[in-house]
Amino acid sequence: MSDDVDFDVIVIGAGVAGSVCAHQLAKAGHEVVLIERGSEPGSKNLSGGVFYCRVLDEVFPDFVSSAPVERRITRNVLSFLNGDSHVNIDYWDERLAEPANAVTVLRARLDPWLAEQCEQAGAMVMPGVRVDGLLRDGERVVGVRAGEDELRAHVVVAADGVNSFLARDAGVRPKEPQRHLAVGVKSVIALPRPVIEDRFRVTGDEGVAYAVVGDCTQGVAGGGFLYTNRESVSVGVVLRLDDLGARGLSSSDVHDHFLAHPAIAPLIRGGELLEYGCHLTIEDGPAMAARDLTRPGLVLIGDAAGLTLNTGLTIRGMDLAAGSALAAARTVAAALSTGDCSGEALGAYRTELERSFVGADLRTYGRAPKFLENPRMYGDYGRLLADVFHGIYTHDLRPRRHLVGAALGAVKASGVGLGQLARDGWAAARAL
Amino acid sequence: MRAVVVYKWSRNAADALVRADGSIDWRNAKMSPGEDDPAALAAALRLIRGGDDELVGLTIGDGDASWALARGVASTWSVEDLPALADNGSTAAVLAAAVRRIGGVDVVVIGDSRQEPGVAAAVAGRLAWSVVLGAQTVEAVDGRLHVTRRVADVRQTVVVPTPAVIGIAAESDLDRAPGMKELLAARKRPVNRIGLADLGVTAGDVQTLGCRRPETAPARVFAGDPAQSAAQFVSALRAEGVL
Repeated sequence: MSDDVDFDVIVIGAGVAGSVCAHQLAKAGHEVVLIERGSEPGSKNLSGGVFYCRVLDEVFPDFVSSAPVERRITRNVLSFLNGDSHVNIDYWDERLAEPANAVTVLRARLDPWLAEQCEQAGAMVMPGVRVDGLLRDGERVVGVRAGEDELRAHVVVAADGVNSFLARDAGVRPKEPQRHLAVGVKSVIALPRPVIEDRFRVTGDEGVAYAVVGDCTQGVAGGGFLYTNRESVSVGVVLRLDDLGARGLSSSDVHDHFLAHPAIAPLIRGGELLEYGCHLTIEDGPAMAARDLTRPGLVLIGDAAGLTLNTGLTIRGMDLAAGSALAAARTVAAALSTGDCSGEALGAYRTELERSFVGADLRTYGRAPKFLENPRMYGDYGRLLADVFHGIYTHDLRPRRHLVGAALGAVKASGVGLGQLARDGWAAARAL
Repeated sequence: MRAVVVYKWSRNAADALVRADGSIDWRNAKMSPGEDDPAALAAALRLIRGGDDELVGLTIGDGDASWALARGVASTWSVEDLPALADNGSTAAVLAAAVRRIGGVDVVVIGDSRQEPGVAAAVAGRLAWSVVLGAQTVEAVDGRLHVTRRVADVRQTVVVPTPAVIGIAAESDLDRAPGMKELLAARKRPVNRIGLADLGVTAGDVQTLGCRRPETAPARVFAGDPAQSAAQFVSALRAEGVL
């Protein structure tokens, strides 16, 4: 291993993945620089979301009480939305509050905190630098280039997000097909705390997360989301790029349609728009993460490695980012201790990942993206559910039908067909 | 010549959120380099010719103090617990106290900010030093300062005895993002972190009673066929009694 290095490890991207990896390696005594394109960590990040945060227990034992998190999610709502009806599964459980299972975060607040932890652990945080490319010595990645400057390290960790130019530069990832990607459009709307507590039936620092399917996307493959922050609500849509293009809809129009929907508009009424933005996100993480994740001297983590899971019920990225960062940190620390940062040594990262919950969940939900391609998910089934309940609750003085009969009648009228329903049900059970 | 360059001493107005009712929300705004800061730093760096010459940075409030250190300043001072103030006199009182604390200063170079126009002059007033505002360049000649500034259509050079405060007005955007090596070097340069208590000053502020948007006359747009639009425009002017 060459001694001619500026750092042991260069980590690119101060998001959840990059910061957790840099923190672990710095804490283990390695010389680490964490390079961030934004003028400060989080400044480029419009994102927020639900963070299934148990993975951080081993990194920051008091994460929920000391990090700038918004609310603990104790209420999850799965909503099948139609133009003039919706059927919700509303799950509230006090057990989700302690220990905190999932919290909402605004990344513009969380990322600076994570970077601060890295600095306290001994890493150097270098914001305001856009890395232009990788330095190579033959096949081996030996550092990074930004403008006229070069920095060298034994290992480069690419945590530069869904659009990872470093992964492309290294030849690990081709240009992703559109069906692997989605565009997210989001508004953050300020509401006073008492209004949030009243409208969403939450108290203290507890919060709610909605996953919505159906009319929220005007039939485009994808979904709607809404979650409560301390004094704001984040609400928007995620739309699969290929389907959005095929239907000729504009993502901002679909977003506006969702926010104006009678099921959503009352929840955000009177709020003040704080932020509005859009971002590319991952739709088929398992397919992207199946590719190589290392090269000699290079490791990919987080979104750069394709690690996002949309199960239809939950969208997970930050916990997988942290999980992959921990697996990468263990691999890189072992490689540095033996002085072998070859492709073979860093290849142990894949094994570490497979052993962790990240690999297990990628396998479990490997079929989810295929299942979610089913167009009936985005219209027919929402209407079918509403029709079943309409049959139950409508009393028009005609004799009542048995529940099963009412349901079968709704299925028959829907045009989906019992056989199709059974096949989709089986596919859902296998995928989710 | 011992010079102090003051940087990152106010918030960027572009970071403020102006609500529909005209009230201003600064919640996401941090101290940031002002539009004149790069020009002030460039002018201050040109004062340093070697020998005993020394340039020291001075910044206030939150944010990263390494901005100047990554751009050629050897050491800096940061008054960390000073909030952004609307009272220019109060900001200047803290800056002047910090300049005294740094000690032995011949010249303070500061951006002549349009947003905070009173600060540079008030620093000089607090220190009872000479002051030139709207300056483009400053040069040390035989222990005095030759300062150029634009007056009407001419460029005037004035000679100023030290100690003095020079307010630099940027003519163009000079800022250059430092490279990785400069950022690495900046991390090794000293930041002297002090608080208001160390300076023995308190920072009072003016109180905002309310904000509202200025009254604007309603605008009418005549669009479509040019001939028709022009005719509508003329008849509207007649209706308003302009023609």
